[in-house]
Amino acid sequence: MKTLIKINENPNINMVGKIYEFIDPTKIYIPILTNTSFHKNDYVYKNNYYSDYISSISGYVSGSKKIFLNKKFVNALEITNDFKENSHIKRRKKKITNREELIDNLKRFCLFDLINKLDENKNNLIISCVDEEEYSINEFMRLSNNYDEILMTIDFLSKILKTKNITLAIKNTNAKSIKNVKSIIGSFPNIKIVLLPDNYLIGLKTNLCEFLNLKEDDSILFTTNEIYDLYTTSIKFKDITEKYVTISGDALTKSFLINVKLGTSLKEIIKKYCKIKEKEYNVYVNGYMQGVNVNKEDVIITKEINTIVINKNREDATECINCGACYKICPVNINPKRCYFNKVINPKCIGCGLCNYICPANIDLKKVVKGDMYEEKEN
Amino acid sequence: MKKKKTNYLVIENIILLIPLIIYGIFKNGYLIYEKGYINFYQIFKPLYLPLIGIIIKLIIDLIRYHKIKIDYNLVYVILIGMIMPYNINIIIYSISLLILYIITLFLERHLKFNKVCFIYLIIILINFYFNKFTFENVLESKFTYSFTFFDLLMGRCIGSISTTSIIFSLLAFSYLTFSFYYKKDIPLFINASYIILSIIYLLITKDNSYLLNSEVLFGSIFIAPLPKYSPLRRINQIIYGISIGIFTFILSIFFNKVISIYLVIFIISLIPNIKSKRKVSNNVSS
Repeated sequence: MKTLIKINENPNINMVGKIYEFIDPTKIYIPILTNTSFHKNDYVYKNNYYSDYISSISGYVSGSKKIFLNKKFVNALEITNDFKENSHIKRRKKKITNREELIDNLKRFCLFDLINKLDENKNNLIISCVDEEEYSINEFMRLSNNYDEILMTIDFLSKILKTKNITLAIKNTNAKSIKNVKSIIGSFPNIKIVLLPDNYLIGLKTNLCEFLNLKEDDSILFTTNEIYDLYTTSIKFKDITEKYVTISGDALTKSFLINVKLGTSLKEIIKKYCKIKEKEYNVYVNGYMQGVNVNKEDVIITKEINTIVINKNREDATECINCGACYKICPVNINPKRCYFNKVINPKCIGCGLCNYICPANIDLKKVVKGDMYEEKEN
Repeated sequence: MKKKKTNYLVIENIILLIPLIIYGIFKNGYLIYEKGYINFYQIFKPLYLPLIGIIIKLIIDLIRYHKIKIDYNLVYVILIGMIMPYNINIIIYSISLLILYIITLFLERHLKFNKVCFIYLIIILINFYFNKFTFENVLESKFTYSFTFFDLLMGRCIGSISTTSIIFSLLAFSYLTFSFYYKKDIPLFINASYIILSIIYLLITKDNSYLLNSEVLFGSIFIAPLPKYSPLRRINQIIYGISIGIFTFILSIFFNKVISIYLVIFIISLIPNIKSKRKVSNNVSS
């Protein structure tokens, strides 16, 4: 493991400590990835799935729009909220007792990412409460607010997966989470709490396993939000229609964590809760370090999005001085400078953004190395 | 970890050079003035040379970009001013620097080479055509000194105008080793290989004059690791460092103690051009 570093905090970000709730959007957007036809004023029920994406409200189809999803723009259905929350889907409520039942249940909720993690015959279960991105507080706040449910779900999951060691990894700076978890950890003697240093990329599976002295191949890693999703779907048998999203950045009047309905537009959230104080700014989906710069605020909150950063425009890049800092800091030993100047995408790149962070010449290296060049294609 | 921008790195580098210039003023200015060999204005000759470089750089910036840029060229011109011999003629220096600076701006587009060493070597050649081939100052040429180990450490030895203080060079190096952007392996391996060879030479010939060479130390700390002209990979940095150390020592014995390190750095900095040309020719043939 390369020596992990602490990222400097941005002093211009004003983080608000409380969680906002925004569960009554006027419109939501559902990505439509298959050839399904809809007509204006068609009625959409709450909790209906359209190609893996849920309708988090009930209402009428009022149009369509191109939205940003997984580094590209796709068509989305615009649904106007009737504020009735009509749903005609009834979920099973039979207790889950084994892995197959759990997988079947998760399939119903289209949680395929979680299904892929449910490997058998692994001895270590690691629950990470690590927010890698600067000013992203999703994991930390989830554990602080829902520690009871999370510990219960960890216990439930370990019994189903028959894992021997259960580790809950929390950053040593998250005092509130540590305090809350410690208050009830006595009821779960099989769960071990480990405090992690406040270093960037400590939450990466390889780094975490190395820090905990566990074999990577013999470990399953979940985040606290994933555990909470498991709780909602497999213990409560409810659909996931809301999620925590951190909206932060130095171009905003304030930064905050918000619980929003899936499909809500970022524009609507910003309009209601804060203002953009800069004339020129960039929008980064899923964080400033690891996310993608979309240059637009037409972002829709989907299940893939955890953090949105709205920052002032990057300072202009100057000439590369060949200092080698990008190469020295790269956790996977790529030479970002060479990739940048040869315009080569490197498949080994994990998109951590450390090369961009450390570059004294402000060159956007990650954009080329990781291949986040959709803007040019889009234009 | 704190991110540092290019202009911050440049200013940091310049600040580290200031004590060496001040020592240069003391050794090659004040001490000679005290004996009455030069007038008051000549005390500051070690300061004039970097200042002339800065003025030339700023004027060219204003012509090229219509604004002043704080980039590594600023460090280069200061370094060139510091490694000049004491007997350099300021007018010759100014004219040659101006012409060579402009020439290198064009040459850099086609060739990769250490600009500082290149300009230095050409100016030295021009200067020695007009002046005596020596690095001694007025006092050193008038009197015969026997330097003790402490004298050499403090910087009382014969060398360039502002590079002789080993103490200040070492202090600057110890600061730079904490910088993430500094290629510290290069000076470490240059000095390690140079010192090992000097010790072997000392054991064989009983000549200890090669052991403490302020010029090698200065060149290895400030010029060899200049980011633009040094390798990125650690293994390449080690090879680069060791080869500079070895060839510098060999040249010091057979040629000149002061110039050898700059000559070696310049020659080794040309190697990537041969490599890249080979790559191009391979691509063409395939």
